[in-house]
Amino acid sequence: MVRTRIGALVAAAAILVAACGGAASPTPAPATSAAPSTAPTTSAAPSTAPTTSAAGTPKAGGTLVVATPGDINRTDPALVDDATSTYVAQQVEETLLTLKPGTGDVVIPELATEWSVSPDGLNYTFKIRQGVKFHDGTDLNAAAVKVNFDRWIKIPKAYVDLGYTYYIDFVITAQVQGVTAPDASTVVVTLKAPNSSFPVQMTLTPFAISSPKALTDGNASAPDFKDNKYATGGPPAMVGTGPFMFKEWVPGDHVTLVKNPSYWNAAAGGPYLDQITFKPIADATATLNALQSGGVDLAQTISPVDVATVQGDSKLASIDRGSACNLGVLGMNQTHKPFDNLKIRQAMAYAVNRKAIIDAFFGGAGILASSWAPPGTLFVKELALPEYNPDKAKQLIADSGVTDLSFDFWYPSNVSRPYMPDPKGEFEAVLRDLEAVGFKPNPKNAPWSPDYLAAEESGKYPAWLIGWNCDYLGIDNFLSTAFFGYRGDPYGPGPEFAYKNDAMNQAMVDALKATDEAGQKAGWAKAQDLILADMPTVPIGSSKTPAAAAAYVKGLVPSPTLLEFFQSVWLDK
Amino acid sequence: MGKYIVRRLLGAIPVLIGLSIILFAFVHLLPGDPATAILGQHATPERVAAMRAYLGLDLPLWQQYLGYVGGLLRGDFGSSVINNQPLLRELLTRFPATLELTVAAMIYAVGVGIPLGRFASRHAQGWSDGAVTVVSLLGISIPVFVLGLTLQYIFAVELGVLPAGGRIDPRANLHIQSNFVLIDSLLMGRPDLFIDGIRHLILPAIALGSIPLAIITRITRASVLDVSNEDHVRTARAKGLKEKRVNSRHIMRNAWLPVVTVIGIQVGGLLGGAVITETVFAWNGVGRFVVEAINNRDYLVVQNTILIFALVFLAVNLIVDILYAFINPRIRYA
Repeated sequence: MVRTRIGALVAAAAILVAACGGAASPTPAPATSAAPSTAPTTSAAPSTAPTTSAAGTPKAGGTLVVATPGDINRTDPALVDDATSTYVAQQVEETLLTLKPGTGDVVIPELATEWSVSPDGLNYTFKIRQGVKFHDGTDLNAAAVKVNFDRWIKIPKAYVDLGYTYYIDFVITAQVQGVTAPDASTVVVTLKAPNSSFPVQMTLTPFAISSPKALTDGNASAPDFKDNKYATGGPPAMVGTGPFMFKEWVPGDHVTLVKNPSYWNAAAGGPYLDQITFKPIADATATLNALQSGGVDLAQTISPVDVATVQGDSKLASIDRGSACNLGVLGMNQTHKPFDNLKIRQAMAYAVNRKAIIDAFFGGAGILASSWAPPGTLFVKELALPEYNPDKAKQLIADSGVTDLSFDFWYPSNVSRPYMPDPKGEFEAVLRDLEAVGFKPNPKNAPWSPDYLAAEESGKYPAWLIGWNCDYLGIDNFLSTAFFGYRGDPYGPGPEFAYKNDAMNQAMVDALKATDEAGQKAGWAKAQDLILADMPTVPIGSSKTPAAAAAYVKGLVPSPTLLEFFQSVWLDK
Repeated sequence: MGKYIVRRLLGAIPVLIGLSIILFAFVHLLPGDPATAILGQHATPERVAAMRAYLGLDLPLWQQYLGYVGGLLRGDFGSSVINNQPLLRELLTRFPATLELTVAAMIYAVGVGIPLGRFASRHAQGWSDGAVTVVSLLGISIPVFVLGLTLQYIFAVELGVLPAGGRIDPRANLHIQSNFVLIDSLLMGRPDLFIDGIRHLILPAIALGSIPLAIITRITRASVLDVSNEDHVRTARAKGLKEKRVNSRHIMRNAWLPVVTVIGIQVGGLLGGAVITETVFAWNGVGRFVVEAINNRDYLVVQNTILIFALVFLAVNLIVDILYAFINPRIRYA
């Protein structure tokens, strides 16, 4: 589930500004090379060899009907942030960089053939793939890419006010200084502050490159959104370079894509499907019924409780996305007693039987946390998190010298989140665990939105259940934007957890400034080690998003962030 | 008659004013701030302020209400925060789907309910009457979404004879013109798609029609029994009239009245049922539109769509009352 929190970047921006504003020593350029971390400086086109589904010779033809949990919101990838809109758009419009299919952390070239970063970490140079045409027949070149960046930079204020620019706000507006196109195949993006996560951010579907002609014809920058045809179904709308072309959107009913017969990367195999139709089906059981009756071929998401049914049906295949892009934690706020005490926070971590919670409440889709980001996240480090040990917890409480072990412990009502499928059940389990070692938690609850969120965000709760749905599988998206990045004025820890460790924050700042992979890895590893030592929250686990398809759907490569491309998909029937 | 209609229309005005106040208050009584709810957890104060200004929430309450009503009077029902499109246009494009479904559900409810009710009344107190009563009680008490999902499971998943949802086979590429699937398929010259459209209608129509069916059955039964026991029916039989004629001229003519009233009320009520049925059957009508709007926290859309539902409900009731005059000459509206 891409998306959820506006302002995620506010934090990232803050940490960057902090990085610049402080008495920062200039990062020395690595002696060897300025080659970017994950950047294979190769011009090889991405390979989309399917890794799941049985092998076989792909057959061309057919229509794939995909059930989505909701309708798309808009037909302009730059102006969406929900999982369904991006799921559709990523089949049509392509980004400069993308993720290796099936991974959340391997950045590979797509419309750029290579990229590099300047020693100061401020200038990213992209070499633009030549010979690629947009669906309207116009050429992809550096000028076209610049048009796109310029549009994002100068996005009309009305769109920002309407709340359509979540990703533009935090990746472009907050970070990008300017863009130049020195020649027909080169684009240079200048950042306001170094950010080694920029390449990962460029893999996000909202930064897909649209045809400049279509943007003009579709009035994509109309000051009044009502006049914007590009985002409201066109024509023209969603004109990119991808394996499928946008045909129509009947709001609430369906989106239809058709095969791009002259796709530039056909050498990688595909596209095989003649057509893809996306149909919103809001009800989870109705989605399962539609799958089982053959009305749809693939469900973008199914309910975790239906996974067993799918596995027991020989006509269906269950799709395991391997990892997740969310994390649930037991939050603690250090301005509230007794959580100012490290031993107490550690005791909390030993007291909670995290594995039992994952088994009981995550419906078979849970992953036990091993750090403050899910497995498969770029630069996540497997940590020795405390294992369930009530005796050790009691010992730590005794060692802490704290005698007043009472505190308010909160959970949200009227909500279910991927990282917290059953808040009340989970809360009761944690409550029992805490009481068993001598804590005196006082159970409290509040409606999720806006009461609970407002209170926890401003640091009013001593202990509570909370979590994060990521924007992308980058460690910064969990550590700095979601949980521990310094923000506020002057730059300091956010009020949510009130966790202050300057060395930890500096490690994150260093990692974001580093232009080499080793430096980034070292910075993030140090940050995670320091967080483990401080135990500001107790990470519990993540929930994978299950999907299902008819058994004859072949070649789909599942992705933890739902970045799944249908170029490789074919129908074996 | 003309006078009566005018009076009824004038009578609707206070109802609508009251409703607009309730709906307006509803949004303002909800805990929290719609702007925050729309923008989410970590929205910056500036962003929230901009959204509040966009929604007009920064004005004094009375100004907000006057602006709201003024918009309604100008026929401006506002626009969705999701795509900024005028609400009225969105509703009009989705209305044909709901109309198709509602008509199908009523054909089912009336077509089955009236014969069933008459059948039960003829065998009053017998076991078949009891069976009909039980079935109609079940119809009322099973929640529509349970019935819908069960029908899907039996007829689509297990038997595989009917589609599980949607209005037409998505692989068929129906060219949408009027938004009435049944009309569009004929415009395309595709009777096979017309039949496919009918097949897609069957299950949602049964699910949506279940409650009206039960009520119509019971009212028909009760009404026919009532009238059958009246003196004029006995007189008609004593005169030696054929049973068929007694039934059609003397019983049903009178028994229709309460049935028609109930049908009228049920048509209005179907809008409520459509919200659930359309969600379960992926039916792109106004009912599901409301659900989407609620999920998107699109308050103005929810508020005004409900207002429009109320208008439709009032209109249907008025039409039913007028129909009365035609089936019951004793009623004279003046």
